[in-house]
Amino acid sequence: MTYHRWDEFTFEPNKSGGVTMGDWVDFVIQRLPELQQKLIEHLILTGISTVFAVAIGLPVGVLILRWSFLRTIVLSFANAVQTIPSLAMLAFLLPFFGIGVKPALVALTLYALLPIVRNTYAGLSNLPPPVLEAADGLGFTRLQRLLYVEIPLATPVILAGIRTAAVISVGIATLSAFIGAGGLGDFINRGLALNNSRLVLLGAIPAALLALFVDFALGLAEDWLRPGRKPKAVRVRTLIFAGLTVVVLIGALWANQVARQAKVGGVGVVRIGTKNFTEQLILGELLAQLIEAHTTLQVERKFNLGGTVICHQALVRGDIDLYPEYTGTALTAILKLPTLGEPDEVLAIVRREYRLRFQCEWLEPFGFNNTYAIAVRRKDAEKFGWQKISDLKPVASKLKAGFTSEFRERPDGYPGLKRVYGFGFGQVVDMDPALMYQALARGNVDVICAFATDGRIPAYDLLILEDDRKFFSPYHAAPVIRMEVLQNFPELRQVLNLLAGAISDETMQRLNYEVDENKRSPKEVAREFLAEKGLLIAR
Amino acid sequence: MIVSRDVWKSFDGGKTFAVKGVSLEVAKGETLVLLGSSGSGKTTTLKMINRLIEPTKGTIEIDGRNVMDMNPVELRRSIGYVFQGIGLFPHLTVAENVSIVLRLLGRPKREQQKRAEELLELVGLDPKEFADRYPDELSGGQQQRVGVARALAADPEYLLMDEPFGALDAVTRDILQQELLRLKEQLRKTIVFVTHDIFEALLLADRIAVMHDGRIEQIGTKEELIKQPATDFVRQLFEQPAKHLAIFSAVLHEGAQPSSS
Repeated sequence: MTYHRWDEFTFEPNKSGGVTMGDWVDFVIQRLPELQQKLIEHLILTGISTVFAVAIGLPVGVLILRWSFLRTIVLSFANAVQTIPSLAMLAFLLPFFGIGVKPALVALTLYALLPIVRNTYAGLSNLPPPVLEAADGLGFTRLQRLLYVEIPLATPVILAGIRTAAVISVGIATLSAFIGAGGLGDFINRGLALNNSRLVLLGAIPAALLALFVDFALGLAEDWLRPGRKPKAVRVRTLIFAGLTVVVLIGALWANQVARQAKVGGVGVVRIGTKNFTEQLILGELLAQLIEAHTTLQVERKFNLGGTVICHQALVRGDIDLYPEYTGTALTAILKLPTLGEPDEVLAIVRREYRLRFQCEWLEPFGFNNTYAIAVRRKDAEKFGWQKISDLKPVASKLKAGFTSEFRERPDGYPGLKRVYGFGFGQVVDMDPALMYQALARGNVDVICAFATDGRIPAYDLLILEDDRKFFSPYHAAPVIRMEVLQNFPELRQVLNLLAGAISDETMQRLNYEVDENKRSPKEVAREFLAEKGLLIAR
Repeated sequence: MIVSRDVWKSFDGGKTFAVKGVSLEVAKGETLVLLGSSGSGKTTTLKMINRLIEPTKGTIEIDGRNVMDMNPVELRRSIGYVFQGIGLFPHLTVAENVSIVLRLLGRPKREQQKRAEELLELVGLDPKEFADRYPDELSGGQQQRVGVARALAADPEYLLMDEPFGALDAVTRDILQQELLRLKEQLRKTIVFVTHDIFEALLLADRIAVMHDGRIEQIGTKEELIKQPATDFVRQLFEQPAKHLAIFSAVLHEGAQPSSS
């Protein structure tokens, strides 16, 4: 539906030396259809979770008014839930609800419960005693008293709770993007991953405005439901508010129309996804630009999805048509099969299983292998004549290794390495993946567990030792595409296979380095590479 | 007819009693005033009649039926209740307040409206002017008129009034007392009226029950209480109007000269 172009990077404020208002307007108009979609997703997330929270919170608030023994338990539980950091909550819910909209709704509902329960209870327990006495004296039943007197009178306080809950939800819903639930948080996440403040603002500003809008709208509702006659000011405010809302809505629809007309009418659309790290963004750009250069298809970039599982699910559900995946990851994380050392064998297995289980096709790998690797300083390697991992055996007891904690624990990490090669290092320290390259270059450690295509390996003059016992599983990257798409656009196979074997470990290191360290955009780096290879020549 | 026999009430499980062995009868069409200072047990005695409070011991019967055997909701709907706090529902208009009981009974909307107008006229409020107002737009006196109208909505035979005019200023109170006298003549309800104001009691009562420390000191007509007080407490109580009158006439007859004291 939306054929927006992926050009955050054409507006890098710091490099172009300031942006004009016009750029901003262009940027926003270009993204309007997507913004509209994300806004609707955001509203749905917030709205549904608030409705759930009201449906649960209101009865609970009434119950704890009657049953005091439940009161402390319920209110402490709701309080405790509120203190859980949002990301921790989402992570906690993952095993129960998976990813997507469901866990997001559960989390948002839990957060919204406290203000609603608390205010329902507070509103109902602070009613004027004479009014309740009158109701009893007039022969109201308990239920009648609740429905005709207590709830109507407590409504402003209850509504204040709902208002708080809704505003909290609008804020927290931005985090739902981390688990693929969509919403305005998508822009913020993408912006953060790419260090692009403009994208962050495209998510953050509408989210803030939405929160203000919800707050104001529910505030008005509170005024309307306060007992007694409505003051004139409230009526006037409501009119102005309603008027403004209509104006904004019409404006949005009109702008959307304009934006739509500006789009080229699409023939066929290919939606490309990627995970949320540099290498994936570069690969996504490579695939996208190839398709754009060699076919008439429109490319929709759905980059920066939250991780392997999210990409895979998006692919299987048909939300995206292809994304770059690694053979080893598919084998262990998706197919849950044991690790294997032989690259061709791994590729053959994932290819077969993906065809059978997911109706997806593995095209030819790009060539490089982004596996775990043992890296040392190049000058040490030259000095001591190290070429392969086995060469370290005689001196291993004197070497200090810096490994990530994951590598130290994983069976296909250090434990397996020791078993297969028959030696361990004299000292092993835990290291943050972001710091270990530098630590090795500076001489803090002698050996690290690197990712084979990391751009810092050439940058810090490090060397990867050959895995002569074929211990590390192969992680060859290749485009994975839905078969249905291949059938609809058969030309895609040939076009995408233009990159088969075209990217070596060293090349991928260099491309990653350009983006990570030289701060260039994935788009630009990809274009340069394709041009170099002569792959951008027009059809 | 309301009959209570040896009614006791304790709020602390039997350590102390707020009402101690009260027995009384209220005849049909009669107005009985429970007169006493605060803490004398008069309000508790009243509220046990419609079971807002339940007796610890003893029985209360209405038309021969023990109130404890009756459904409290039905019991209360058959007895009008007016109290000092008024307790109008702030989210409902005056007319809606008056007809709320009919709404609970599921009577048609038109009947509710008609009855509300009738009752507002009865308590001296012009329906055209007041029906659609909210309680906070009324004065205290007007609010209590609505309170009385609301209590009369289901046309109950009995009316319990707990210091209904206690929070009003003297002038308003005077007007409402006169109105109540008129209503009493017009409607012939059986009324139990609680007050600490001896003048109010003398004005409204057919009979007065003087309460002190949870007991009834004496129950009888105004003449009996004034002429044949049964206890010192009752005698001293009914000497008060005479004292006030003496001060009043002294001021009246001796001009600006205050009496020596």
